[in-house]
Amino acid sequence: MRGGSIYIERSSGLHWLHPLTKVALTALCFASAAALPGLPWLLALFVGLLLPLAIWGRLTGAFLKACLLVVGPFVLSLTIIQGFFSGGETVLFKLGRFAFTQEGLLAGLTFAARLLVALGGTLLLMQSTPQPHLMQALTERGFPPRIAYVVLTAIQIFPSFQDRAQVIMDAQQARGLELQSGLLNRARLLLPMVGPLILGSVMDVSERAMALEARAFSSPARKTSLNTLADSLLQRAVRWLLALAAAALLLWRLWSALQ
Amino acid sequence: MIELKKFSYWYPGTEQPALDRVSLSIAEGEFIGIVGANGAGKSTLCYALSGFVPHFYNGETEGQHTFNGQDMASLDLGQLAGQVGLVFQNPFNQISGARFTVREEIAFGLENLGLPQSEMRARIDEALELVNIQDLAERSPFSVSGGQQQRIAIASILAMQPRVLVLDEPTSQLDPDGTRDMFTALNKLVSTRKITVILAEHKLEWLATFCDRVIALGGGKLRAEGSPQAVLSSEQMLRLGVGRTQYSEAAARLLRTKQLPVTLEQAKKALK
Amino acid sequence: MNLRVEGVSFRYPSGVLALDGIDLAIPSGQLLAILGENGAGKTTLVKLFNGLLRPSQGKVYIGDWDSAEHTTAALARRVGFLFQNPDDQLFERTLAREVGYGPRNLGASEAEVKRRVARALKLVGLHDMAEAHPYDLPQPQRKLLALAATIAMDTPILVLDEPTIGQDEVGRGAISRILTDLHRMGRTLIMISHDMDFCAEHAQRMLVMLNGKIHVEGTTEDVMGQTKKLDEAEVAPPQLVRLAQALKMPGTPLTVDDFVDEYKQWRKKKKSK
Repeated sequence: MRGGSIYIERSSGLHWLHPLTKVALTALCFASAAALPGLPWLLALFVGLLLPLAIWGRLTGAFLKACLLVVGPFVLSLTIIQGFFSGGETVLFKLGRFAFTQEGLLAGLTFAARLLVALGGTLLLMQSTPQPHLMQALTERGFPPRIAYVVLTAIQIFPSFQDRAQVIMDAQQARGLELQSGLLNRARLLLPMVGPLILGSVMDVSERAMALEARAFSSPARKTSLNTLADSLLQRAVRWLLALAAAALLLWRLWSALQ
Repeated sequence: MIELKKFSYWYPGTEQPALDRVSLSIAEGEFIGIVGANGAGKSTLCYALSGFVPHFYNGETEGQHTFNGQDMASLDLGQLAGQVGLVFQNPFNQISGARFTVREEIAFGLENLGLPQSEMRARIDEALELVNIQDLAERSPFSVSGGQQQRIAIASILAMQPRVLVLDEPTSQLDPDGTRDMFTALNKLVSTRKITVILAEHKLEWLATFCDRVIALGGGKLRAEGSPQAVLSSEQMLRLGVGRTQYSEAAARLLRTKQLPVTLEQAKKALK
Repeated sequence: MNLRVEGVSFRYPSGVLALDGIDLAIPSGQLLAILGENGAGKTTLVKLFNGLLRPSQGKVYIGDWDSAEHTTAALARRVGFLFQNPDDQLFERTLAREVGYGPRNLGASEAEVKRRVARALKLVGLHDMAEAHPYDLPQPQRKLLALAATIAMDTPILVLDEPTIGQDEVGRGAISRILTDLHRMGRTLIMISHDMDFCAEHAQRMLVMLNGKIHVEGTTEDVMGQTKKLDEAEVAPPQLVRLAQALKMPGTPLTVDDFVDEYKQWRKKKKSK
């Protein structure tokens, strides 16, 4: 992991794919999450497509762990809420006057599975693609470089922000600030903690801006890239197919909803 | 190649000039040290010599300010970026943060200049070698020490092949190891590449060892200029809040020479 | 107030053993400098003194307190701590409020806070600026402000991390004067610094660390004379000591006065031979 990015360095076919191919794949995952009718279909997509891709990318463990961490809490809360409150005939058990139904359980699990497929696709993209490469692919197709820069630095500088917050907390504790729980105490912590963090960052901004100018950030030249992102005719074809499939799924879903 | 004639500069909204009628001429391939107490105008002079005054900081100027015979105000930072490089105090703020590896970080400026890939690669390899950080090329610029980060910042500027490198207290946050590496790298640049190096610095012993010429500032004015020994050994340095090396201080009490020693070598010779 | 470290080791969660079997006693009123290259364990060691880090093994006593029984905020009554970067702590609207923040946390009365603020600002020479905003000061002066904030806590022990970094000659002079005053008041002072000339001039004792262990410890004169040990720890002696060595002069002069005296004696002896 580098900076605040969740990219995991491996040498695999998945890693070598052009970032936009993986973006198309993620788009398909989102479309499927929205369009596929039921739990079996969604799980089949996860097991039949995403999991093999993760294995191909030598990311199996990290991928499953991330899925569990991100989607797990939703599975729990969604099944509980849906199980109790979405009604249904088949009562599995009762807590006081609330009934937990099989229909509700299924609805909760289905919703969680939709999340799993959509987020799973995103995680796979992020874990197998360095963000600078993703941004490069996007800027090469007209995405504004200034926005790309802001996104990238935000990701990378976040951990150093955390480090600094820790130092500030140490410094204020050393000045007798007691870290206690309770709302009032938390409020008392806010200014001494956030104040230096913000003031310090404001001070840094002008130096950062100058340092960027020193690196010709505002040069009128057309920007180039150190690395060429490998692409191929096959990948381009696959990208179009994936995009078409995603669009088709959504249209089909829209159509059946209107029927 | 850079010339100031009675140059004055006021930051926006201030009445006291930050630089007050400074006249200065810098030739190609010189290694110049700038000394002065905090607030004497060292940083502002660094900005002026690299074009950030008047291009980044607005405010008023007076007098002449030229780069290679051209009026500095008529050039813009985009044009200057490949010719004059500026390195700052805080290494962390100079890492663009937009790239994952040191190699890519150094490429950042070259990509902005729109250079072709083959030329970028050659320049990056050269810059890595100049500051001796080849072994860091594939590391994350955030995972290395402050001294190494500062050398990455210098390599990133050097890869843009400026004729002049201006450094504003680059070692103030570094430990002795980092300081030594930095001076070794700078010295190599001047001696092998004929790059002009201009360095604002408090560490007098290092300045005296490597610089060709030292400029002393006080209250925005140029107060002294000359060989490191002539400038740094003078009593005026005490009044300017620059101080002197302990070699000079000890020798001042023991010797009656016209020029006191400033470095260890000079002191050894004088006191033998 | 004295400070004792008994059989302390510290391992970071990452597995790095940063301190390895440290035994140390710092008597009341001493001015100690801790030296060593980056990563030698200096900062880790002093962070144990106010509980910002807790030893993996061993005990740290601050006077009669076992540090394990107190929070960092409680230990702040006995150990003041100046961090390297003042901007990591400044947040109040005026210098006076900033300096009063610590004493207020410790429960001092308003009258007492006022007295301590005035005294601390006076000591660092910022008393004319009491109502200014901290960020009206340039960075080197903000460091003096942070120092005043530490002094106002009235702790018997003070830890200073790189007090002279980023300071010019004027700032170094101010800090030198402040440390001398504090030392005269009987406070225990512990400083981490790479500024060898400054340490040699001010410290009574020195402790050189290497790889998480105490490499050498002793009086400043004694430690500065141990060329080989210093070399192993990558610590360069101060200018005057290096000059004396280059001249093959006996002794380890720590101040210009020392050097001048020793030099004259040495010359006299040489002549009489």
